[in-house]
Amino acid sequence: MIPVFLGVAILTFAVGNAAGDPITLIRVGLRNPSPAVLAALRAYYHLDRPVYERFLLWVWELLHGNLGLSVTGRPVAQQIGAWALTTMELQIISLVLAVVIGIPVGIYSAKNQYTKQDYAITSVAIFGYSMPTFWLGIMLIILFSFDLGLLPSSGSKGISFLWWGSSFLDHLAHLILPVAVLTYVSLATIVRLVRANMLEVLRQDYILAARASGLSERTVTYRYALRNAISPVVTILGLSFGASLGGAPATETTFSWPGLGYAFVQAALTLDIPLVQGITIVITLMVLAANLFTDLAYAVLDPRVRID
Amino acid sequence: MTEKLLEITDLRTYFFTEAGVVRAVDGISVDVKSGETIGLVGESGSGKSVTAQSALRIVPRPGRIVDGSIKFEGEDLLAKSEDEMRKYRGPKMAVVFQDPTTSLNPVYTVEKQLTDILMLHKDLTKQDARKSALSLLERVKISEPEKRLRAYPHELSGGMKQRIAIARALSCEPRLLFADEPTTNLDVTIQAQVLDLLKQLQKELGMTMVMITHDMGIIADMTERVTVLYAGKVMEVADTKSVFTDPKHPYTEALLKAVPSVAQTRTLEVIPGNIPNLIEPPAGCVFHPRCKYAKEICMKEVPKLEKAVEGHYVACHRWRELKLEGR
Amino acid sequence: MVEEKKSRRRSASQWAVAWRRFRRNKSALIGGAIVGFFALVAILGPFIAPYPARSYQPLYEGAAAEPPSWKHPFGVEDSGIDVFSEVIHGTRNDLYVGIAASVLTTLIGIAIGAIGGYFKGIVSDLVLGITQLFFVIPVLLLILLFARVFSILVFKGLGLTLIVLILVFFGWSGVAFVVRGETLRIKEMEFVQAARSLGAGSSRLLFRHIVPNILSPVIVITTLGIAGFILTEVVVSFLGFGDANTSTWGLLLNEGFSFVRTEWWVSLFPGLAVVFCVLGFNLMGDGLSDALNPRLRE
Repeated sequence: MIPVFLGVAILTFAVGNAAGDPITLIRVGLRNPSPAVLAALRAYYHLDRPVYERFLLWVWELLHGNLGLSVTGRPVAQQIGAWALTTMELQIISLVLAVVIGIPVGIYSAKNQYTKQDYAITSVAIFGYSMPTFWLGIMLIILFSFDLGLLPSSGSKGISFLWWGSSFLDHLAHLILPVAVLTYVSLATIVRLVRANMLEVLRQDYILAARASGLSERTVTYRYALRNAISPVVTILGLSFGASLGGAPATETTFSWPGLGYAFVQAALTLDIPLVQGITIVITLMVLAANLFTDLAYAVLDPRVRID
Repeated sequence: MTEKLLEITDLRTYFFTEAGVVRAVDGISVDVKSGETIGLVGESGSGKSVTAQSALRIVPRPGRIVDGSIKFEGEDLLAKSEDEMRKYRGPKMAVVFQDPTTSLNPVYTVEKQLTDILMLHKDLTKQDARKSALSLLERVKISEPEKRLRAYPHELSGGMKQRIAIARALSCEPRLLFADEPTTNLDVTIQAQVLDLLKQLQKELGMTMVMITHDMGIIADMTERVTVLYAGKVMEVADTKSVFTDPKHPYTEALLKAVPSVAQTRTLEVIPGNIPNLIEPPAGCVFHPRCKYAKEICMKEVPKLEKAVEGHYVACHRWRELKLEGR
Repeated sequence: MVEEKKSRRRSASQWAVAWRRFRRNKSALIGGAIVGFFALVAILGPFIAPYPARSYQPLYEGAAAEPPSWKHPFGVEDSGIDVFSEVIHGTRNDLYVGIAASVLTTLIGIAIGAIGGYFKGIVSDLVLGITQLFFVIPVLLLILLFARVFSILVFKGLGLTLIVLILVFFGWSGVAFVVRGETLRIKEMEFVQAARSLGAGSSRLLFRHIVPNILSPVIVITTLGIAGFILTEVVVSFLGFGDANTSTWGLLLNEGFSFVRTEWWVSLFPGLAVVFCVLGFNLMGDGLSDALNPRLRE
């Protein structure tokens, strides 16, 4: 955990100082922050110290939750909260849907190997992870928003406005396309993995033994087989979540979804270094948390892994 | 006359794979009388395991029983529905598999795996099932059964796991037990223990047993009658003593010659060649490519299973002429 | 001496068996055909494209912002760039990025992974730690960041090679992780012990015995890696972090997005090119995986 955090910190720090120090880099990006902001940033980055001290002091600030000021003057930490929730809303809904749909489909595909349905499912899945997520989004936007006028293509106000009543249905309408896209791509990976693992498990002797003992097909499939096949899927879920989160910039840009990814892209294009660094750190923490969770889940599911 | 408990007639079980149709069982007939212990002996690929799987109708995909009949206690098993078959699996017929490391589910405790079956077939409550499981473990001579119940398979030794597998198979007091190479994966010292255990349990429960193995030593030790299989077909059927003293099929003779013994002075004879391709088996007698007595007719015509002496059958064109060596 | 010849002869027939298995696999062959097609387009690129790269010629011909037609099969962008030509030019560049990144990643990954798997102790732990690190960090974000910073700082602009280097910098760990695992596994196998007992030293063991046996998963990873790197390049360029002067599919999508309401053809065709190209490599990679991994079903 800590090495990961440090690793990311080192990398973002290094890039931020690629031009000598962050301020120079910001200037090169042709941004001219106000003098007040410049002064605050100078203090935040401790530019009067040598490089290695700067790094340590910066990490110190990070640990205290101080993510500095964006070039616009607003504190980074303040904005990130709303963005994070907005991103998580999309990611979590898609992940849950992908899992809920993906596992049964994967099982079905495995049990019916070599049939037409299996080939159809596998083909659809393979298309799923061969395409750029955002491109599917664009195609759907063209189809549903512009041609058919059914769904909105942008303008989601993000989750912080959700509670202000009337716009729930509107928000829902905005959710459909991005969720559909993200779910499809995650589904492709999950179905494929569940199918592969189930095929492997169903080949095992203990499944044959379970059938030989007269246990029902449902018991054999869901309690005996799935329980064994699911552990690697859980681990992959963690990685898949990380990948999905990594794809957030493109997806959110496509739908103008005001989350961390969208903010990152804007910030990076304008070389708003403090903002960029802050968002990177936060996303890293989110991925770490997800992986910790899946590690725990893995230990619960597979007794061979538990610490004796 | 003792009833025929299991009657398999001209069974054909094929596997429909991408590479072709594998004829795993290609016309096997076996009769098992109530109370006896018979052996199914042959190399890997001979169809012995698939025969047992077919009897319980648990042949895995892409395999299918394509022809023949299987009767248990006089009832036609192939006509039964899946629901009806499930009632046979466990209470009537059971299997002990070869490798206890893979035949026990790694993610459940021993207790769970045993009680699942007990609760299903015997309609017991959880506590009663647990008590049952405990006594089962005692029956298969497992030390500290309380502790073992709560354990996961990977925490136990090979010998212990196999005893548990045996306990699982016997949990519903089946009339017929298939023991599929039960000792092949165990240490030599444990092998004898497990075989003794099987013998004892068979006596206690009055069970009929089908011993599936490639080891002629086990056949000699455990069985009364033997069916010799090769490449999905029956080569010879006889009582164990006759198979050893008066084998009538070249394959049987070769199997006997390949078993070392302490008193032996000659070199071990290896059967030349490999097991045949079950997708495209050889024409004529399926053993002819490896048979040192093969003549032209063996390459053309499939030999039928003929009666040589009362109770002794052989599928070989030349059985009348050949003087084969027994032990 | 004798024992080495034997292992190489065995390897030769291993590949032959795998090749036969690959040939039987329909989807693998389709994948191979698709890849071959794109390779052909990449090689012939400049000769078959109607317009030169990044050319505004159609604008002067009065054909800007036109939907697909006989003259412009994929339509024309708002700026006058012919989409069909650009897709063709982009094929060469995207394949270059994908293949170069994957090959370099593989080479570095094998080197570091093999060392990490062969030598015990700190070296092994260090390699494991670093590769696991790269699994968890948000790689795309850092790639974008690095790309943006370098495109500002480097005088000539980003250029494809710099993109490749950035991709490799963040991509080698995946291969290294797998190679390390495989090396650990092979190292314990008996034929390695046998070679060592006959006097083979570390480097001989490593290069003559271990590496040839880890080639199978590596080939698969490299092929699938090409698919992955092309996708990454497309995302990077789409978001505007790529090289604005080089024709890539991602750049097309970027330009098309501004006009997504009215000029759907600028988004559709480059995207289809990406999907089919990546699909081809994925199918081929899967086919190789099935062919090289004996999974006995009987």
